[in-house]
Amino acid sequence: MNVERMPNHAASGEVVVSGIAVGKTFADGTVIALDNTTFEIKRGSFVSLVGPSGCGKSTLLRLISGLITPTSGQISVHDTPVTGPRRDISMMFQKATLLEWRTSLENVLLPTEIAGTPTKADKNRALDLLKLVGLGDFAFSFPAQLSGGMQQRVALARLLQTGADILLLDEPFGALDEFTRERLNTELMRIVAEVGATTIFVTHNISEAIFLADQVFVMTSRPGRVAKIVDVDLERPRPLSIQTSPEFNRLVEDVRVTLGAV
Amino acid sequence: MPDSRPSRGYRFLDAMVRFVPHLVLLIVLLCLWEAAVATGMITSIMIPRPSAIGGAIVELYVTKGTIYKHFFITLTEAVVGFCIGAAIAVSLAVCSSLSDVFKRYVIPYAVVLNVTPGIALTPVVIAWFGYGMGSKMALAAILCFFPIFVNTLTGLVQIDEDREELFKSLGANNTQIFTKMRVPAALPLMFAGLKIGLTTALIGAVVAEFAQATDGVGVLMSRFSFQLNMAASIATLLSMTVIGLLLFYTMEFLDDRIVFWRRESRRAAASRARARSWQSQIGK
Repeated sequence: MNVERMPNHAASGEVVVSGIAVGKTFADGTVIALDNTTFEIKRGSFVSLVGPSGCGKSTLLRLISGLITPTSGQISVHDTPVTGPRRDISMMFQKATLLEWRTSLENVLLPTEIAGTPTKADKNRALDLLKLVGLGDFAFSFPAQLSGGMQQRVALARLLQTGADILLLDEPFGALDEFTRERLNTELMRIVAEVGATTIFVTHNISEAIFLADQVFVMTSRPGRVAKIVDVDLERPRPLSIQTSPEFNRLVEDVRVTLGAV
Repeated sequence: MPDSRPSRGYRFLDAMVRFVPHLVLLIVLLCLWEAAVATGMITSIMIPRPSAIGGAIVELYVTKGTIYKHFFITLTEAVVGFCIGAAIAVSLAVCSSLSDVFKRYVIPYAVVLNVTPGIALTPVVIAWFGYGMGSKMALAAILCFFPIFVNTLTGLVQIDEDREELFKSLGANNTQIFTKMRVPAALPLMFAGLKIGLTTALIGAVVAEFAQATDGVGVLMSRFSFQLNMAASIATLLSMTVIGLLLFYTMEFLDDRIVFWRRESRRAAASRARARSWQSQIGK
């Protein structure tokens, strides 16, 4: 029923990421990680992929990133097929994966260094991004001097430093405590809205998926596939308290029914 | 970032206070030793009194100054030998980490070299390189090779899946993965190898001197021992301790500065330095 709703105001309508009959099998074709999946993601929208372990949500994210290639079908980004990692797509992982011999600022500059020699403007942008994620005072700290939440903020700034307009996040705050995760989720919404990026966010937490997204791709396992797309028409900015509203709970119910978890 | 470290003067005083009990213990032990020899419990021919050793030290190091020439010869042999051994070990470790084929062919030789007692090579090395400093450097290089090679290689081939994936997703090429990820990640283990290697290089230099040489603290010490001048012999032995400490702390210093990210005090210092260099480059 929700599939027929109008697209969220954040999305302008232009499709930036699409998949046609995408399939991925592992272990000589015996394990179907993702089965015949077709989808479209619009510019500037926030999409959550939610589902139990083994539903292929991380596989789908890695396929979009170009880290792995599909066994069948095709994924396109900005109307060109994805054949490997590319500059307009950037990915963030569950672990911050900072280089411990680099300061926050130098870690944020890593993508720029890999693409070429950082200019003064790049360096200033890195510092600005650290300020944006609330770490302006920790630009010269080393990872070992930061808490887990702060390390993920650095990873987020590094993600933004790539300049990619499509951000892929694989349970980025999954290893953090509940309170830190909620705070970072709120900030993530603010930041991606500010930079106008298209965001694809993997999680196994239903509330988190709905809270953040314009669209929730509900995925089920054996074989991994997108069972339903739920549009989230909640107003932005969203306060944490929205999670107790009847509208929100109706959406949670909808996702749960699809997952067969009621 | 505010500087919250205690002042330099305070830290010096603090170190002194902690040093005093160690000094007291040392003096007590030396007094007991002195008394044992003075009362005839130990024959002074075999084990001289600490005061006699003190006299020999004054003679060797101050009045005659004979030790210095030998001291610098042994030091040079150990350091040059170490540098040669380390350069070969690190180069081979880098090549082995880059090519599995290379590694497969190099490792058996490295293992054979390691299980053969390196010291047993002394006569051969002297036959090849002569009685001069060359043979000492060669033995030092051979003895320090293996620990440096193995530690550096282990450091370079350790795989951090998350980092690999990060670098790949950023589109890094193999050179960038090697220089920006593999090499820095290998530094802690490489330095562990270098520290062991420096100690074994000194052993190599001294053992080769014992076997055949004209100069160096090893020669001096065996000469004094043959003359049953045990006080001078032990005074010379102490010069090897000094060389060992000098080498060890130099490497410790470099390790601390280069692999700064393991210790909080060094991280804090590095962090302040980065902030300063940023200020001078970009800041207003």
